[in-house]
Formats: sequence, structure tokens, C-alpha cells
Amino acid sequence: MPFSALDWFWTGAYLALMVGGPLFFYKLARRSESDFFLAGRGLPWWLPASSVFSTHTATDTPMWVTGVVYAHGLRGLWYTFFAAWTSVGAFVSARMFRRSLAYTQAEWQVVRFGGLGAELLRGWLAGWQVFMNMFILGWVGMAMGKVCHLAFGWPIWVGLVIPSTITAVYTLAAGFWGVVIGDFLQGIVALWAIIFVSVVGVVAAGGAGAVTARLVSLGQEWRLDPFAFTGWLSGDFPAVWWLTMLVIAVLGGFGMGTSIDWYVEAQRIQSARTLRDACYGIWAGGAITLVRNAFWAAGILGFFVMLPHLGAAAEYELGWFRLGFELLPAGLVGVFFGAVLAIHFSTISSHLNLGALYFTRDLYQRFLHPEASQRRLVWVGRIATFVLLLGSFFYGLMMEEITQWLIFALWLMMAGIWLPNILQVVWWRFNSAGYLASWMANLGISWLVVWVLPAFGVLPKLPDYLQFWLLMGLGALVFLPATLLTRAEDMDHLVRYYVMVRPLGWWGPVRREALRRGLIVAETPVDATAAKRPFIRRRWTSAEADRWSREDWIAIVVSPLVFAGILIGLTELLLGQATGLWITLATVAGGVFLYWVIDPKLRAVSVEYEARQARYLEDLERQHRWGEEVGH
Amino acid sequence: MDRGLVTLIGMSIAYIASLLGMGFAYWAWRRRQRRSGKDKQP
Repeated sequence: MPFSALDWFWTGAYLALMVGGPLFFYKLARRSESDFFLAGRGLPWWLPASSVFSTHTATDTPMWVTGVVYAHGLRGLWYTFFAAWTSVGAFVSARMFRRSLAYTQAEWQVVRFGGLGAELLRGWLAGWQVFMNMFILGWVGMAMGKVCHLAFGWPIWVGLVIPSTITAVYTLAAGFWGVVIGDFLQGIVALWAIIFVSVVGVVAAGGAGAVTARLVSLGQEWRLDPFAFTGWLSGDFPAVWWLTMLVIAVLGGFGMGTSIDWYVEAQRIQSARTLRDACYGIWAGGAITLVRNAFWAAGILGFFVMLPHLGAAAEYELGWFRLGFELLPAGLVGVFFGAVLAIHFSTISSHLNLGALYFTRDLYQRFLHPEASQRRLVWVGRIATFVLLLGSFFYGLMMEEITQWLIFALWLMMAGIWLPNILQVVWWRFNSAGYLASWMANLGISWLVVWVLPAFGVLPKLPDYLQFWLLMGLGALVFLPATLLTRAEDMDHLVRYYVMVRPLGWWGPVRREALRRGLIVAETPVDATAAKRPFIRRRWTSAEADRWSREDWIAIVVSPLVFAGILIGLTELLLGQATGLWITLATVAGGVFLYWVIDPKLRAVSVEYEARQARYLEDLERQHRWGEEVGH
Repeated sequence: MDRGLVTLIGMSIAYIASLLGMGFAYWAWRRRQRRSGKDKQP
């Protein structure tokens, strides 16, 4: 593809902005481990929000969204609705995780569980995440290699190595400060490019009306219907698969680790300056991601009507990139390539820093050198970042095909441990033995159900939704007995966790014990205040706001509907459909209502939380200094 | 490379990494228990 001098100028200018901006925060990152990995826990909500959006807009994401929308039309958008876990998670799991003050999901294990089981889980998750991040880096790097090959004809390794190395420079120097500042700048550039190129795609196809008319003339108008299922149980997109995806996404918000994105979001949750900022950061990040998907879908349908007969996925998956590289004039192509680099940088920097966090915090500091100085921990973080970079090259270049297993692994992981990931949050009796058993069982059962038994003809190859439910059910046959046949976690530990985190769900015995010890305040009897309480309460004390109430449940129900409205309403609006306008208006009203209901409570919780945060942190740090513990 | 073999290698590496992490955790736990025992000796 010919690149003019103006194109190179714009690419260079974007590079300078996206690398120079993060590097500016070098001095902040070197202050402490907390700065290097959590930006000092002081970020306003819009920085974690932009980071959520940017991180999950990877180089391979446009290929994936293009693939599902090209193949399935608007119903394919439901694949991308998995981001809706943030709609519930923002008000449930994010709130609890923020209160735990754990740096990572691995560290959370020793807050939630106690004893050797918790330590084993922490080590297990840390090892898993270090390598998972390396794989993701290799995978996304390979996608960048393919895009550079498409645009310039460069060898694949050039696109894999050079952009990732540039990213590593500021990630290594400025840590999470660099990541979030970079994500903010890159997010603006990326969102602008996604909107612009998608609109260009629709205009090139003749406009929204022409796209619709062309789909009708092709006999493909079903592609405009997000509910065009192939039957309840039959076809390649049955309604039961849609329902399964909804359950995975929405109920997944009650748990932690129910989505691979959770591990990334956990870092953003802890980097927010207050609990309210953490909730809004996660919610807004998920919402912007769905806005992005809506623009992509409209552009890709434009691409479809221009080239409706591409049969192979490899041909149509690069559709959105082709819109940018082939339709934009000289000069703007450079801007577009700058945006592609922005998309790539944000994902690479996040996973470099996250993988280094798990190594530094959960393996090195916890198990190898608990008394390491802050300076040393920052340097270990930098070395780990560099090693992860090299590892990603290895997996990308030498074992390219192995990255394909990642999709398989992600699916299996989510199916087999999806329910335990919820139970660990909502059920006091679920213990470390049960959770560890679920991971171990998942290894064997998933292999049997998905691969070994079908290979030997014992079991037919099952559709995705059946695989999910079967893996979940078989896993439960292992982890439920493992939980119930072993002892519950130590009550002292559970009470400490309960008082700190205030979890939602079945925590009756622990709550009663916390009340008996005078560690929490008893609720005012319902009958004494029922007459005074408005249906939606908007004045809260901190102690009252700590309890789960009707307002939380309203938010939990309304929030996913708002997310669905964003995705479907905006897409249809962009395609010029009247229903899109009404859905979008209802979505905006729903969003305002949601804010009106939940914000007073989040504010009250945050006031209390901020006042106690310093003490919490001091206690937590002491817990993690093993040398100071006696006989525990 | 065969897809099954690729999957086998990839999954194995991930689980080996997790087991290594768990091994570290156990080793550190034992070390801590031993130190704790020594501290309690008169």
C-alpha cells in the first residue's frame, strides 16, 4: 500500500503523542510498587474507564467483531455482549473487590480464603496469569503482524516485534501510570478512528438507506434483526445459545474471574481513587466498548453489502481494516495507521504490566522475597515486563499455532470454573478446597467433553451451549462434594473478610457472628421504618449504604438493559432504522434513572470507604508481611 | 502442526505454569511453618 509523506508524518505524530505522553509519568511510577502497578490508587473514574475500553480494543478485536457480524449479521453482536458482565459487575463484584484492596485476583484468594489452601490458590492463579498474559501478548502481536503485512507487505515478524517493543519502552519505564495515560490518549485516537472509518464504510456503501435496501435485495434482511435465531435448539445460532451467552455475561457480573477480562479489570478497579470511581470506571469502560461495537457493526454491514460473497473467514475478517486502508485518501491513511497502532499499544502495555504484576506481587514478593524494598519491587516489575515481552515474541514467532489454543483454553476455563467463580463471592461455605478442586476438575473434564470423548466417538461433538452447561454440571459434581466434605474456612478469617468486603449473597452465619462480636451495626428493624422509607431511597449514611438494598437490585436489573439498549439501539440508529431511535432514547432515559438510583448510595459508601482506606491498607500490608505474623 | 497436538502443548504449558506457581506457594508455606516452629522453641 502506498504511504505518502503526509501519512508518515501523521503516523509519527501519533507515535510521539502515544509514547511521549506516558513516558512523562516515569517519575511517578518509580515511587513504589503501588505506583508501578496501580498508579498509586488515585485515579478518577474516567481514566480506568478509558483503560478498560482501550485494553479490550486489541488489534485482533476488529477482526473478531467483523467475523461474527459478517457471518451472522446483527445477531452476531450478541457474541460481543459478553462485555455486559461489567454492567452488573460494576455494582457487585467491583464494589467488593475494591474493598478487599487486593492488587490481583490471586491476592484476593488469601483475603477470601485462609490457610494453605488460599496460598496454593494464589500460587496457581499467579502462574496461570503470568503465562496467560504472555500468550495474549503473542496472540495480539501476531494479529498486528498480519495487519502490517496487509498494509505494507512487511514480514509478519516485523509487525509483531517492533510495535510491541515500542510499547514496552514506556510500560517498562512508567509502569501502570504509563499504561493508563497511554490508554487514555490511545483510547481517544482509537474511538475516533473506529467511528470515522465505520461511517466511511456506510457512506461508501451508499448510506444507511442503501445498506438496508441492498440487504433486502440480496434476500439478507434477516441480518438487520438482532433476534434472527435459527431456531430454539437448531442451526448455527439457536436461541438457547443466545440465552446461554446472556446468562454467562450478566450473572457472571456477580462473580470474580468469570470472564478473562476480569483479571485485567481487577487492576483498574484497584487503581481508582474511590469505590465510586471504581464502579463508574468499570461501568463506563464496558459501555464505551458496546458503543464501539455498534459503530463497527454498522460499518461491517456496509462492507458486507459491497462484498457479500466472501466465503472464507480469512477473507472477511480483515474487512474493517480494508475499509480504512482502501477507502481513506492519502494523509488520512496515516492517521488510520496511527489509530491501529494506538489499538495495539493499549492492549500490549496493559498485558505487559498485568503479567509483571502477577509475577512481582504474587510470586516474587509473596513467596520469594517478602521483605523486598519498594525500589527492588519496581525493578523486579520492570525485569518481568521485559521477560514477558521476549516470551511473547517466542510464542508469536516460534510457535504461532499454539496461540490458537488460547481460544479453546479461554472457553474451557470460563465454562468449567464459571460457577465456582460466582460461588466464591456469594456463598460463605464455599472454601478453598472446593475452588481448587474446580480448577483441577476442569482440566480433566474439559479435555474429556470437548476433545477426547468426541475423538473416540463416545460423545458426539456438542454445540457450544451444551458444552458449557455440561462442563458446568460435571464440574459441580466434583467441587460441591469437595466443598461440603471439607471444613468451612476459619470463622475468624471469614468475619474479617465480611467486615472488610460486605459481600452480597448467602453470608448469614458470618454476618451473625460479625454482629455478635459488635463488628458491624445491626439494621433497624424493617417494621419500624417501613412507613418512612421511600421506594427509592436517596439519603444514606455510610453504615446504611454498606448494606445491600432494593436500590442495588434495581441497578443490577436496569444496568444490563441499558447495555443491551446501547448495543442494539445505537447500531439500528446508525443504520437509519426508526426502532433504533426509540431504543436509544429509552436507553438514555434508563441510564439517567440508573444514575439517579445508585449514585447517592455509591457516594455514601465511598465517603465511609475513603475515611477507612488508609487503615485498611495499613492492615493489609501487615497481613502480607509474613515476618510479622505469629502462629497463623 | 496438528491442531490437537497444538492444543495439548498449549494447555500443558499453562497448567505447568500454574502448578509451578502452586509449588512455589507450598514451598514458601513450609518454609514459613518451619520458621514459625523454630521461633516457638524455648
